Amino acid sequence: MYPTNHKTIFVLDHTPYFGISSENPIDFDVTKGPRGPGYVPLPPICKSLWTCSVEAAVEYCRIVWDLFPDGKLVRFVVSDSAAHILNSWIANQQNLNHILNGLCLIGGVRRGAGGDVVGLCAAIEALGEPSPAQAARPSTDRHFQNRGRIICITSARDDVSLRSLAEIALNAIVQQNKRTSSTPPTTSTEASSSSPVLTIHYCHLVVINVIPEKAETLVHNQPLTEMGGGLMGVEVIVSRASQLATLLGRLVLPHYKLSTTTVTGIPMKEEQNASSSANYDVEIIHSAEAHAGLRATQSPTEAMESVVLRWWTPRGSEASAVSCGGAVWRVTPADVASRPSACLVNFLLNGRSVTLEVPRKGGGRSASHTLSAHAGELWISALGGRAPHDDPPALSDGAGGRVTDYRIKEFGALIQQNRLYPLRGSGANARARSRLQRHTTYWPLTISSTLIFNLGSFVEPLTRLVVQESLTDEELEVCRSVLHMLLNMEFRLEVPSSHLPAALRGKWSGMRREEQWRQVWGEVEALVRAHAASATHRTLLHTLLDCRAHNHAPEGESNRASVIRATTDSPLSPGGVASTTATTSTANSEVWAPRNVLDALLGAPRPPRRPDFAGRMAAGSRPATLYQHLQQDVDASH
Amino acid sequence: MRAILSVSVPFTRDYDTIRAKLLQLEEGDKTCIENALHGVNQLVMSEWGLQIPMQIILVTDGSSGVGAIGRNRVVQALPLPPLYPVRIHVLPIVSPLDPSLQHAMPIYQKIVELATSANSNSMKAMSRGVVYCPDQLSLPGITTAVSRLCEQQYAEACRWLRCGRLEARVQLYPPAQAVVEGGPPTHPAHHIHIIGFITQQDWGTPPTISRHLVLPQPQTFSSTDRRDSYTSKMTSKENQSSEGGSNEEDASDPSKIPNFCVLLHGALKVESMAAVVSLGEGWWGALSAVCEPSRARRSCLVLCALAPGMHAAPWLGPLDQLGPAGEEARTTNESIVLKAARSYTSGGCGGAAWARPHALLADVQKVLRHARKLPDKTQHLYKELNRLRRAAISLGFTELLACVGAALERECAALPANAPAECSLQLAHAAAALRDPRAALDAKYTVQPLTTNFGQSRSSSPRHSN
Repeated sequence: MYPTNHKTIFVLDHTPYFGISSENPIDFDVTKGPRGPGYVPLPPICKSLWTCSVEAAVEYCRIVWDLFPDGKLVRFVVSDSAAHILNSWIANQQNLNHILNGLCLIGGVRRGAGGDVVGLCAAIEALGEPSPAQAARPSTDRHFQNRGRIICITSARDDVSLRSLAEIALNAIVQQNKRTSSTPPTTSTEASSSSPVLTIHYCHLVVINVIPEKAETLVHNQPLTEMGGGLMGVEVIVSRASQLATLLGRLVLPHYKLSTTTVTGIPMKEEQNASSSANYDVEIIHSAEAHAGLRATQSPTEAMESVVLRWWTPRGSEASAVSCGGAVWRVTPADVASRPSACLVNFLLNGRSVTLEVPRKGGGRSASHTLSAHAGELWISALGGRAPHDDPPALSDGAGGRVTDYRIKEFGALIQQNRLYPLRGSGANARARSRLQRHTTYWPLTISSTLIFNLGSFVEPLTRLVVQESLTDEELEVCRSVLHMLLNMEFRLEVPSSHLPAALRGKWSGMRREEQWRQVWGEVEALVRAHAASATHRTLLHTLLDCRAHNHAPEGESNRASVIRATTDSPLSPGGVASTTATTSTANSEVWAPRNVLDALLGAPRPPRRPDFAGRMAAGSRPATLYQHLQQDVDASH
Repeated sequence: MRAILSVSVPFTRDYDTIRAKLLQLEEGDKTCIENALHGVNQLVMSEWGLQIPMQIILVTDGSSGVGAIGRNRVVQALPLPPLYPVRIHVLPIVSPLDPSLQHAMPIYQKIVELATSANSNSMKAMSRGVVYCPDQLSLPGITTAVSRLCEQQYAEACRWLRCGRLEARVQLYPPAQAVVEGGPPTHPAHHIHIIGFITQQDWGTPPTISRHLVLPQPQTFSSTDRRDSYTSKMTSKENQSSEGGSNEEDASDPSKIPNFCVLLHGALKVESMAAVVSLGEGWWGALSAVCEPSRARRSCLVLCALAPGMHAAPWLGPLDQLGPAGEEARTTNESIVLKAARSYTSGGCGGAAWARPHALLADVQKVLRHARKLPDKTQHLYKELNRLRRAAISLGFTELLACVGAALERECAALPANAPAECSLQLAHAAAALRDPRAALDAKYTVQPLTTNFGQSRSSSPRHSN
């Protein structure tokens, strides 16, 4: 679906007639008071018809491009003895600078024949060229319509010659459509030629007949008339050259569904007299949708006029502009060069926002819109009524609301590590998500559910480095040294919770030292295992498993246990130890982190699993008994 | 529904008020659907504005209020579609065999259809409403119809919010709607994936199509098991038995089970960041901690859904190209926002505003102001002069250059006797340069200041060394 305003083409008449004066004198001495003797006043000057039409067309474009940085395209065709096409539909040629540079090369009106017909025909050809968006559309789009508008600024002798101009245009469209449909390859085989010509489904032709200030004309206004069975709509508007810019400034509103707001009562300080401030009005242009809320109760004639909204100065306790998350629309000042406009624009661009209110006689105040700037652009937003959830349930009543020890600070750090930046190229979103995936693989939500993330500087290098996609050898060494340090601490019989901040110790104080260490090693293993994707990570995991083997492997456990518990427990299958054994060995049986199918296909093949402990295999599902032969030996010796 | 209409109960969540009022309602004289809809439109527009999706339930006795002839008139007089996005459901309290229902049905169908037809706000198009006819005119029949309506139209929308491996089941309120924009409707995906984070300031306030409260829901057990799988593996029997009692107690109270949503809310708030989320194929949004500007003043997690499409937040560039900055996380606070150049940001816009005489006069006065402050403003004079010249050339406004030339000569003539010689030389040079055909036609040509050595010596005696 491409609306008519997707493509607009200006055809500017550059024939000698447009070199004549607009007869609308501009006096440059108007602001000066009396001067010294011998002061020769400057003669007032008049713009040519050409200058008037160029500046009016440029002003139209300024509004369009300010409000629609993409999607609304404008092209210029200058017509004299030949058609000079100033830009194409490509995005980087859709700006004022490009047009003004092109116009510099065209220059003023020169002698020679020519007319508007050649330009009009070039414009119709241009309408057949697809815009980048149209070229990229899926070929299956059945509702596709190639529509556009041609604004032809010219001057004709009478209504008859304008009618023949319209007929020439219609004929050109019909002929071009015939040629397009007679070359089927463009639709069926797609893009054998570089840019296939599109059929024109509708063309809105606006002919503006320009006349100097005092001249008479035989051309009359003509409302929109359909021609060629709805293929073309023609409209004729007669305008004095001096009024041309105003006319186009008004025409742009219905063409792009815009409307204007007059911001009234803007307090501004005078440069000369900074102590007093005067109130000014600034007119701004934006999408008509911004007024939809106000216009519900207005008559159609009122809707044509500029809406007057008053600058809202917050009084006392009244809250200033509340942030609203509704729709926003771009804004551009109607008169970009006026001082009050520039003042308001700078105020907004400096980061402040303005609330506007509907002026009421009764004295009640109701904020209706806000103006603000973002990224160097001005925006208006409508403050619409109530929020749909003005009594939101408190988070503390909901799921997880009564938990008070979330690791908010740590998640803040994770947020900072996963900030997004505008990059080039595709797949950026996917990269961001896989990075988040890595960073959250082992991530306890609460402080009380983790020991290792609370041990601070001991473990921090490990937890920081292990989430990386790969580890360098130095980083691997740092991680290993953390593991060795933990191991040493355990051998020195230190209690992990003694390294916690005092406030956190309470929860762990009830837990035996061995339990705490088991938790520490369990967490470290879960963390490292979750990241065992790269070779260095796998090396780290092996180091970790070796570390655990020192004190948690069956043999080690029973050796140490025999020292401590020799008097109380029998070395033969003590309950607690047996359960630990079973747990550890199940953990060992799955050395590798779970991989998805793609990883498995792409990644290095995993070495075969380590053979299971023979005793366990023999025991089946029952707890394996260690040192069975000892018992046998004892029995035998008896 | 009467020829006269009145608002019985304003928008409220107080069930008892509605119930009390319902008992007091009196029968009216005539069914007048279009009047009622006019009234509803006014009520909605004055209270909610035009951005909030509404649902209207038309409860009626099954008569249309008009005969066969008046039917077309009623359909044409219907104030539909309204400005705000809406879905209208009809609930006729009438036997399905009642002849008046057969007669009114086309109108109901039309109302349902028109309510969602090509809205002025195409962005907010909604799926259609439904006519809920009870199977029989009895209390159970109507209860069934109403519960069918509630199930279909007011179902809680639960989705999964995922941030890497962390996840939480959440309810979106109001439920996210499929977005119809020209082509096929874009449906919100079942999973909301967090892509990454961005400062609130950079995120700004892009055009959103809807806002939803994100309410954490109790986790289903399968997921908690999976996520905390390490604990079940690692904690010993002993540990479980000692804490078993409290665990069971916690499990029965969802508010005591840690929920990712609450953590996310807290961290976003502390960091004043927003989480960029993917709502579906080519559809983005943001989660942020928002303090609702209402009487409750409660901070909650809010999801803003952008319009589908990668250009929905223009200052962030194409949204599918937002990505991580590499492994060594940049923590600089510089803004990542792309600055746009608009006519009003660039100061003057090269004569594009000269259609208004005051803009032209201001630019000419600027040149003359600098001319009066020579030799200090020599560089400024030529800079402005070249700007003016360029603009005049692009507009084909050669008359202006002659006029400014004359004005400069006049300034030259009006110089006081004790003025430095450089002033008159520069003014004469500038005026002559404007009459040069190159200066009047070639935009690439730049008028340069006259090279004098007065600049360095500043001696008042005229030495024509050049």
